[in-house]
Amino acid sequence: MPTDTKRVRGPEVSQSPSLFSCKPAAVLPPHGPRADGRQRDQVDVRPVFVRCGLVSQAKGSAYIEAGNTKLMSCVYGPRETERKDETDMKCGRLTTDMRFAPFSCPERGSWIQGSQDKDLSLMLHESLQPAVCLHKYPRSQIEVNVMVLENSGSVLAHAVTCASLALADAGIEMYDLVLGCSIRQDGSSHVVDPTYMEENSCGSVSSENQGGLTVAFLPSLNQISGLQSDGEMTEETLTAGVRTCIEGCYKLYPVIQQALAKAVRRAAAPPSES
Amino acid sequence: MATVQVSEAEKVYILHGIRDDLRVDGRGCEDYRHMEIETDVVSNTDGSAKVTLGHTAVLVGIKAEIGKPRPMVPKEGYLEFFVDCSANATPEFEGRGGEELGTELSNTLYKVFNNKKSVDLRSLCISAGEHCWVLYVDVLLLQCDGNLYDAISIAIKAALFNTKIPRVHISSDDEGGKEIELSDDPYDCMRLNVENVPCIVTLCKVGHRYVVDATLQEKACSVASLIISVTHKGTVTCMRKVGGGSLDPESVYEMTEAGKRVGKTLHAPLMKLLQEEESLGTKRQKVGFLG
Repeated sequence: MPTDTKRVRGPEVSQSPSLFSCKPAAVLPPHGPRADGRQRDQVDVRPVFVRCGLVSQAKGSAYIEAGNTKLMSCVYGPRETERKDETDMKCGRLTTDMRFAPFSCPERGSWIQGSQDKDLSLMLHESLQPAVCLHKYPRSQIEVNVMVLENSGSVLAHAVTCASLALADAGIEMYDLVLGCSIRQDGSSHVVDPTYMEENSCGSVSSENQGGLTVAFLPSLNQISGLQSDGEMTEETLTAGVRTCIEGCYKLYPVIQQALAKAVRRAAAPPSES
Repeated sequence: MATVQVSEAEKVYILHGIRDDLRVDGRGCEDYRHMEIETDVVSNTDGSAKVTLGHTAVLVGIKAEIGKPRPMVPKEGYLEFFVDCSANATPEFEGRGGEELGTELSNTLYKVFNNKKSVDLRSLCISAGEHCWVLYVDVLLLQCDGNLYDAISIAIKAALFNTKIPRVHISSDDEGGKEIELSDDPYDCMRLNVENVPCIVTLCKVGHRYVVDATLQEKACSVASLIISVTHKGTVTCMRKVGGGSLDPESVYEMTEAGKRVGKTLHAPLMKLLQEEESLGTKRQKVGFLG
């Protein structure tokens, strides 16, 4: 396990105080309304706030807020690539990096990238790669960095949306925007765009059909560019879940398009008076 | 993953063949290659298995150690996965080259087993909050000829079936602390129930059709694959899309259904084979690594 040698750490066996709390973690009832008032079994995504062009140094950047989940993404490139393999001569290379700030989750995380961060970065890469026209950038490298400032559920889905928005803001040629949506299946009902509590609740007594699913989707081309599920679900539930996520992405599309159009209009020069 | 260079003409040939349900080696689109499974190949482990699928060879060793349970789940043991891509497989894996592939494979394995039903973790508990069995599942890739996920998952299932965890007795010693004693009899051990351990099926999208158990050449012709891990009941524990291309939603539904069908039929013959091998006992002819 890699250790962080640059910081003075607290005592070796420090633990989070939440382990010692007297009341057990509230198990959300599987059939009641959701904690934040949204509906179960319906495509009810959290309202989203997006803004492009935050970081002045980056070629393109975006910030997304959905409920309490806050993420920002920066894109650098295309810049000349260091390694010159034969494949680089024909098309560009996309590198992705997704990190969690240590204060983002209820439990303190570490600055060293754990295996979960690497796994999410890989999935982000797989979701974005089909959408970017890499053949237009031979011998170049495009870097996408996503930083999670607050993790309140469905982080990968929003990271995909944020990263594709940052790519568009950077002027990288793409076939389509990539939008992400995730659901959590709990028994016979599902919740779209789960919060942290809904994602990590140990689940109801009947442990049939428990799991989460995240889909990355290109709306205009109707293609799925990323898919990931865990837990244990039947195949019919999964197929229905994929359809629900696609619907969720379609719901999000107009908001993202509007934000992008606003950013472009702001950045463009005003029309000349003559 | 280890790659081969495939020319355009060869790609077209493979594509057209698959379109007509005939692959280069004569298989149908949903057929596996010749598979050989042998358990108990490494004597220093608590459970081991070697699987050869065509030219892909995978060796899994499981060691059980006593450790401290995770704080959030004090009554359960846990599994730790590690995949090592040996430089024997291809020269690309020399040094740290195989690390990326290894982490990708182990992360997927964690997801596949991240549910309450695959392995009964409560049976791995010795005393709640203090001691539990930790199963270190180490996977070694010996040869790489495509379809690593399938071979690894079958090898893990066989190795878990073969695992013999020694029984422990907890006694309290004079000062009131707990003392753990392993029983002296080497045959007094606990076996795991592997009925619910899932198997992974990889479906590669080639042209408009999908193939199961793709070789490296077929993989070079496909842009995207779907990994689906299926239990014997037909439930799906993990599904992932890999590769740099995108998939049509209709293909995803088709491939999920096919993956479930293929995966479900893998389990029954595998369990039968493992039980047959077990019943042979000491009379079994060991094939080992040179067979």
